[in-house]
Amino acid sequence: MVWQIVKKQGLTLLRNPMELLLLVGLPIILIAILGTALGGTMNGEPSPIDVKVAFVEHEDEEQQVDRFMNMIEAELPSETVDEIRAQVEGLMPVSILKENVFGSDEVSDMVEAHDRDASELDMLTDDDSYTAVIEVPENFTYDMLEYMVLDKSDQPELNVLQNETQTIGVSVVTGILDQFQERLTLGAFLGKNSIDARVMELNQDAITGDITTINQKHPITAKGYYAVGMVVMNVLLLASTIGTIAFREKKTHVFDRIILGNISRWAYFTGVLLSGMLFGFLQLLAVYTFAWLVFDVTWPDLIAFLTVSFIYAMAIGGIAVLLTAISYRIDSELITSFFSGILVFLMALLGGSFFPIGDMAPFFRTIGNLTPNGAGMSAYLAILRGDGIPDIWNHLLFLVIFALAAIIFAAFSFPRRGVSS
Amino acid sequence: MIELVDLTKKFKHNKAVKKLNMFIEKGEIVGLLGPNGAGKSTAISMMSSLAEPTSGDVRLNNKSILKNPAPLRKIVGMVPQEIALYDDLTAEENMRFFGRVYRLKGDALKRKIDEVLDQIGLSDRRKQVVSKFSGGMKRRLNIGVAMLHEPELLIMDEPAVGIDPQSRNYILETVKHLNEERKMTVLYTSHYMEEVEFLCDRIYIMDQGNLIASGTKEDIKQILSAEKTISIKASRLNDHFIELLQNTPTINRVAAGDKEVTITVPKEINMFPKLISLAEESKLELSSVDAKTPTLEDVFLHLTGRALRD
Repeated sequence: MVWQIVKKQGLTLLRNPMELLLLVGLPIILIAILGTALGGTMNGEPSPIDVKVAFVEHEDEEQQVDRFMNMIEAELPSETVDEIRAQVEGLMPVSILKENVFGSDEVSDMVEAHDRDASELDMLTDDDSYTAVIEVPENFTYDMLEYMVLDKSDQPELNVLQNETQTIGVSVVTGILDQFQERLTLGAFLGKNSIDARVMELNQDAITGDITTINQKHPITAKGYYAVGMVVMNVLLLASTIGTIAFREKKTHVFDRIILGNISRWAYFTGVLLSGMLFGFLQLLAVYTFAWLVFDVTWPDLIAFLTVSFIYAMAIGGIAVLLTAISYRIDSELITSFFSGILVFLMALLGGSFFPIGDMAPFFRTIGNLTPNGAGMSAYLAILRGDGIPDIWNHLLFLVIFALAAIIFAAFSFPRRGVSS
Repeated sequence: MIELVDLTKKFKHNKAVKKLNMFIEKGEIVGLLGPNGAGKSTAISMMSSLAEPTSGDVRLNNKSILKNPAPLRKIVGMVPQEIALYDDLTAEENMRFFGRVYRLKGDALKRKIDEVLDQIGLSDRRKQVVSKFSGGMKRRLNIGVAMLHEPELLIMDEPAVGIDPQSRNYILETVKHLNEERKMTVLYTSHYMEEVEFLCDRIYIMDQGNLIASGTKEDIKQILSAEKTISIKASRLNDHFIELLQNTPTINRVAAGDKEVTITVPKEINMFPKLISLAEESKLELSSVDAKTPTLEDVFLHLTGRALRD
């Protein structure tokens, strides 16, 4: 009989095109709108930043180092001079900047650096393809070594000519240079005060507590984010639709007929629960399939995706049967209307369906994960990033507990007979 | 077969049914009559095991069904006042679903669906969704669903309310046929006196939760054996005439409509000369004056002071 109830619920849903449009069509439309409109603001969106930098040196750095070494030989004891000579490679700041910083794997993916001759400087400043021109003044390395080793002169500075039309690229270059400058200053400070640079290294063994790794194996696109956000929200509406259909059965005395047929109320209860689960699962699959075909939202781990979908569908079944039981108990559709009209919106907001509210404060993230849609969303997003079941077990456990709690509460609330007494 | 003993149902602020006693024998058609709000639907909800009584008992073949309603549910078919069907399913899909509820399956279910659809005249509409049906067709299907498992006891709560006369006749004939051909026991509630008069062997009359009369049609009409009813028709009744009737001491009751007024008077009094003079006095142009034998409607009026459909 349970299957007959599920089948009948399915037919009822299928015969209501408006309902279907709301449950399946609406999330698709919302994914398209939000994914496109907010794509640029999402963290995972592929970056269009393409930075091109030119280095213009007015004097050869090695010659400056030689000049500096000759100068200190006259002023410092020979042991000290030998010590400095041994570390001379580390005393060439421009080379470090070009090779170790701009030439590193991480930066070179984004920044294209070229050595150009000083005579080309005017031409380079007129060339809009360059994000910035880094001009190394005469005597820069010599002055820097004097500053760092002998504590003479002021710290010299690089001239950075910025292309104002490439604001994001310019901020990337200035960010890199600022960081480099800070390291040089710090190094100079440690050297002048005879402090071993190793004290600045973090002793990882001394750190207690969890280390959370932000995994970005598979960056999430805006459409991927909103596919998850809109689906987990809209499946909540399915629960209220199932609850509404069930309450209509009470109002029209269809439920009385079922009870008079000597069908256990638990068979009916199970039918509503399974309807919520099955149709919730199918709704998830339908919208995600569409998102895969049209928006290229792909799941790296299909088994993990199906597991989350199944467990989230369980929670939806729990909500459906809970709404049914309460509306039967209070003999009113008020609870389903309140759920679909207000609660779904609030839960979606807290769960992060509209924007990543968890990024605002950890408190919101915690509250969001205590909603079934929020927990489902966190689990789905983790899978999209490339995580597996072991990484999301806490969300899955929460969803299972939520589903069981809803089912148990519903079972206690469900009236004993057909007509409320 | 089934018996209600001192059955009472109390809601928060009112008693919907007060110490109701009634019985139905196998093979009878029993009418339960009363205006809207009389307590009929609450009574049959308790009788059919859907609502728990506040006090009293429901007995099937002398055994209480309050604790264990299963034996009753096996033999009862219920036609609720509401259209208890799935609007979005076809007639056949509804039949199949409820057939499965009654544990019919396979060929037996298919045969039964064909038979009942034929019986209620909806065979050619079996593939049509119920939402496209007329009110009369929905009512017929509402009854058909309750007949699928050939119940011994069919409880019908105002099954013909709000439909056209043709569909109503169809329903009444179907019920009569089920009783005569299949010996189905029927409890038929209505506030249409003519339906009950046509169908029922015995009648219970309820008003405001109380049982106010019971017996065969003849028994009940005997309540008015010392009186007769006179129907007075005019092209346009006026208030002065009604007032004169109400102030006439020999007239026991006056029930006025737009074009017809019914009065109840002692059987031995000849009221015609008096009525003619009252009409002249109030300048009323009479169309007809008829003396009638009392109907159940008149009995209800006599017992409650109100017409059934008030």
